[in-house]
Amino acid sequence: MSKAIEVDIALGILDHQLVDRDGQNCGKVDDLEVAGLDGNAPEVVEIIVGGNAWRSRGLLGQLLARLSGDAVHVPWSEVDSVSSVVTLKRRAAELRLNRGDDRWAHLIARLPGS
Amino acid sequence: LSAIGGFVDIGDLVFNTQAGALFGFQLLWVVVIGVVGIIVYSEMCGRVSAVAKRPVFDLIRERTGFAAGLATLVASEVVNLMTCAAEIGGVAICLQLLSGLPYRLLIPLAVVGLTVCSWILPFEWIERLFGYLGLCLLIFAVAAIKLHPDWGEVARGFVPGSHAGGTTMVYLYYVVGLVGAAMTPYEVYFYSSGAVEDRWGLGDLGLNKVTAMVGYGLGGLLSFALMIVAAVVFLPRGISPEFLGTPPLAAEHVLSQAGLLLALVGILFAVGGAAIETSFSGAYNLAQFFGWKWGKKERPAGASRFTLSWLVIFALALLVVMTGYDPVKLTEYSVIFSVVALPLTYLPILLVANDRTYMGAKVNGKLANILGVLYFVVILAIAVAAIPLLVLTHGGRG
Repeated sequence: MSKAIEVDIALGILDHQLVDRDGQNCGKVDDLEVAGLDGNAPEVVEIIVGGNAWRSRGLLGQLLARLSGDAVHVPWSEVDSVSSVVTLKRRAAELRLNRGDDRWAHLIARLPGS
Repeated sequence: LSAIGGFVDIGDLVFNTQAGALFGFQLLWVVVIGVVGIIVYSEMCGRVSAVAKRPVFDLIRERTGFAAGLATLVASEVVNLMTCAAEIGGVAICLQLLSGLPYRLLIPLAVVGLTVCSWILPFEWIERLFGYLGLCLLIFAVAAIKLHPDWGEVARGFVPGSHAGGTTMVYLYYVVGLVGAAMTPYEVYFYSSGAVEDRWGLGDLGLNKVTAMVGYGLGGLLSFALMIVAAVVFLPRGISPEFLGTPPLAAEHVLSQAGLLLALVGILFAVGGAAIETSFSGAYNLAQFFGWKWGKKERPAGASRFTLSWLVIFALALLVVMTGYDPVKLTEYSVIFSVVALPLTYLPILLVANDRTYMGAKVNGKLANILGVLYFVVILAIAVAAIPLLVLTHGGRG
């Protein structure tokens, strides 16, 4: 990211909507991987989406993490901008996001009129 | 009028007629409280949707975090499902009274009909079809006037105070139920998601105000009418409308066959529209919590998880109604449980409507904040009281 922005990670990024290059919703910022917490320049390196990302987030989150699969890791370098949503530089599919919709798409597409 | 399907649902129908049959006009003031409350918070939701483009469940997750958001999601999905089931039961009862066919056969027919409508019709058409035919409920307003109630007594009902007849606990149970029925959370989930789907912008803020006031105001008017009719027709005869087919009989009593027919058609479409709203609210909430693609305007297979969600909610609701559990009881429970979920739904709205990073200059004004905070206190109080009152009064039966 080239532009410097000042944002409260907990309030302004965590749990916010992820949007891909085409403006499609593609998950939430379920967790963040922060490096360098012991030094004086901690840095967000990854956004973690879905599945195991919920493990650290309360009892219900643990239960949900068990029921679902692996999380998707999106490098912070893929982030284009942060407003009330976090916009990514590429399409959801290129970052392996929104696979849940692909999984059910065939089923729904078989219904008449879809 | 995008709020049109939601002006009266089965919760309003059940609680207003039962309150009238038990306490006469004495609970009319609670309807005013409930209606002003839903107007205040719907207006906020619509404004947030127009300015920040964020529907309610996005905000719930962003502001309360994952754990509390997930708890709210689970609670709201349970309530949505119960409400959807109750509305479907209501549709089936109306169809039964209109056609004479067996109730059990009409339940799956009702679900198929509602699912097909939701699948093939755009929301504008659903709103028109269910909204306009739901307006047949105005027959209850005609009936209320034709019954020539003692208008002085009616006016006194708008002043909160001590009550005659029934125990205080039961009275309080109906206070909670009437506010809960008027402020059901699925209405704001649906309303805000619809506003985002319709791409409301700054130019729609006026429309938002009018829609909230007229739509829910009309709901309030019909609620008054239902309560007044029940007070005049049922109370003196000691009839307790525990069957959904009872309120239309009051319309028949005043306006004969035509009255009965209009009342049944009105209930059928108002409640049918509400069933569609609840199933979509459930899908909106899931999608917005997990960040999926969502929207009635998306290609169904493109937003497949969203599509699957509302279909599954209809299917689950069908199973619930097919158990044969009484839709009126289901309604009472769903309204009382929804009251418990109210604070976690409305607090994030109030916070974001005051947050300049989302709202810029369109943050809450003084009036919206005074009312918003006041109502939040009311919501907290009734959320705490709801379950104890349900248990202590055996569901309002004393």
